[in-house]
Amino acid sequence: MTLKIAFRNILRQKRRTILTALAMIAGFTLSSVFIGWSDGAYSDIIAMFTRNRIGHIQVHLQGYLDKPSLYKTIDNYESIGETIGSVKGVEAWAPRVYAAGLGSVGEKSTAVQIIGIDVAREVVATRFNQKIIAGRGFSMASMHVEREAILGRGLARILSATVDSEIVLVSQGADGSIANDLYTIVGIAESGDETTDRMACYLHIRDAQELLVLAGRVHEIVVIVSNINHVGKIARATESRLDDAALDVAPWQEVAKSFYRAMQADKQGDLIGRIVIMLIVAIGVLNTVLMSVLERTREYGVLKAIGTKPVQIFSLVICEVVIIALGSIVVGALLGILINHLLSIYGITLPQEFTYGGIKFQTMYAEVNARSLIVPGVTVLLSATLVSLFPALKAARIMPAKAMRTH
Amino acid sequence: MKNNDVIVTEGVTKVYSEDSVPVEALRGIDLAIQSGEFTALVGPSGSGKTTFLNIISGLDTPTEGKVWLSGKPLSSMSGNELSDFRRDNIGFIFQGYNLIPVLTVEENVEYIMLLQGVPKAERHRRVVAMLEEVGLAGFADRNPPKLSGGQQQRVAIARAMVSEPAIILADEPTANLDSKTGADLLEMMSRLNGQTGMTFIFSTHEQMVMERAKRLITLKDGQIESDEIKG
Repeated sequence: MTLKIAFRNILRQKRRTILTALAMIAGFTLSSVFIGWSDGAYSDIIAMFTRNRIGHIQVHLQGYLDKPSLYKTIDNYESIGETIGSVKGVEAWAPRVYAAGLGSVGEKSTAVQIIGIDVAREVVATRFNQKIIAGRGFSMASMHVEREAILGRGLARILSATVDSEIVLVSQGADGSIANDLYTIVGIAESGDETTDRMACYLHIRDAQELLVLAGRVHEIVVIVSNINHVGKIARATESRLDDAALDVAPWQEVAKSFYRAMQADKQGDLIGRIVIMLIVAIGVLNTVLMSVLERTREYGVLKAIGTKPVQIFSLVICEVVIIALGSIVVGALLGILINHLLSIYGITLPQEFTYGGIKFQTMYAEVNARSLIVPGVTVLLSATLVSLFPALKAARIMPAKAMRTH
Repeated sequence: MKNNDVIVTEGVTKVYSEDSVPVEALRGIDLAIQSGEFTALVGPSGSGKTTFLNIISGLDTPTEGKVWLSGKPLSSMSGNELSDFRRDNIGFIFQGYNLIPVLTVEENVEYIMLLQGVPKAERHRRVVAMLEEVGLAGFADRNPPKLSGGQQQRVAIARAMVSEPAIILADEPTANLDSKTGADLLEMMSRLNGQTGMTFIFSTHEQMVMERAKRLITLKDGQIESDEIKG
């Protein structure tokens, strides 16, 4: 009967119900689009950041991440890579060699980061071939006889290097010798990460190993997983499968700590949005529910007089608000899904591109996810219920004789 | 207090302090009403009839004094206990009908039985019989606002009596009815009083109610002026 009375009261005051529902629907939809948009943007950033650059998981020798060194190498990387590849959820892996050096093209010289990559694996893991914006990619590993180099776009600009020009790399070999050699620039790459592109000089992994006297050794194994949301679980599984205390298995959140923390801090901004939405809902609901209780004081008095318990009156008021909230959540969810879906297809192109974590963005896309429905749903339901507690208590505590004297 | 006293009041005083000048509505009422009485509270407007009915039913609290209902002191009952007591023992007929506008006639009448947990079939049977009794058969699905004042009062009477409470408190029950309907309903209540031993307490101005009452209590300025038991 409580539900029946609640439903009929909702229908009786159509205008008030619509106003209350509109406040809730607006709050839900705003919150849903806000979250969908923000999650979509962050997903894009994370995808670009991990897939193009650092991978989802990295394996190093213990201590390498804190203090990288030419000498902290993984020796039998092929067999370790195969073990990693057998972990469920791992899509690809690629070994890398890193060293600092000096690059010279003609009269110009600058500091470079030598990155030795396994071309075949890197193409699969980080879509390396898609980053080539001029010239061509590396010859495949089996054919590697040339000393080929691919420069990051920024580095090419600094050195005024063009495709087919030659670059001299000077560094330190792992045996203490001076490492230097001449390479032909076969292509220019753009990773989307400006910082990397200003220093990156990619070599075939075997060329890099030869230059740095690191035969059969690498500094890093980058791992790509099929579902980024399971990265923590897969990292733990990888660590357990490797079972080697000398190796450090780190998910991307640990590899790029400052980037991750900055992103988490940005996400805290969501909370402010949510508070604003809670206030919109709360003010709308409090006003209408208080008015409703005030207008129906006499009815509550009668209900109490004929034997309805205070808790039943309390439930009746809460029930009305919850019904409106649930209806509003359904409508708000449909609107939120529709808007987020459209924004996930068409996105919004900003007048100017911006850089986040070194990665450039111009068009931002939203995404439809469970969070964009659950968080606003809980927020609307909770704020509406909390706000109606006071009017509900007021109604439950009504003194019947006094209530029935009101008109 | 005697064994068959259903309502006993002792020194009941009620002062309304809502306005700047306190109004003394009842002044030290001592009264005992026994089970099965058919009592009319009479007196001019403002004499304290409605206030007295409200206080003896726990709808309002006395400023001073005590009330016992079926031997239980009202002041010792919690909000829930009072609600349960009213639900199971008292039927109200209010001056202004006080029906629930969003419920149909049938739902209004069955509401108390629903709170009592009476099974659906039994509820339906009793509602049909009671609506027949008050002359509203065929009005079950109507909404109260679409009924005349007299019809609404009959629904209120049906609601009060359908669960067969021990006590019926009626505030001007026939005031909005035409004389024939009023007489018919009064006849019905008188019959129920005789058949079931329900206690009826009316506040009234109506001569026909006073004539049928077996006990006539006259209030004046919040005090009992006379208490006459008819032979």
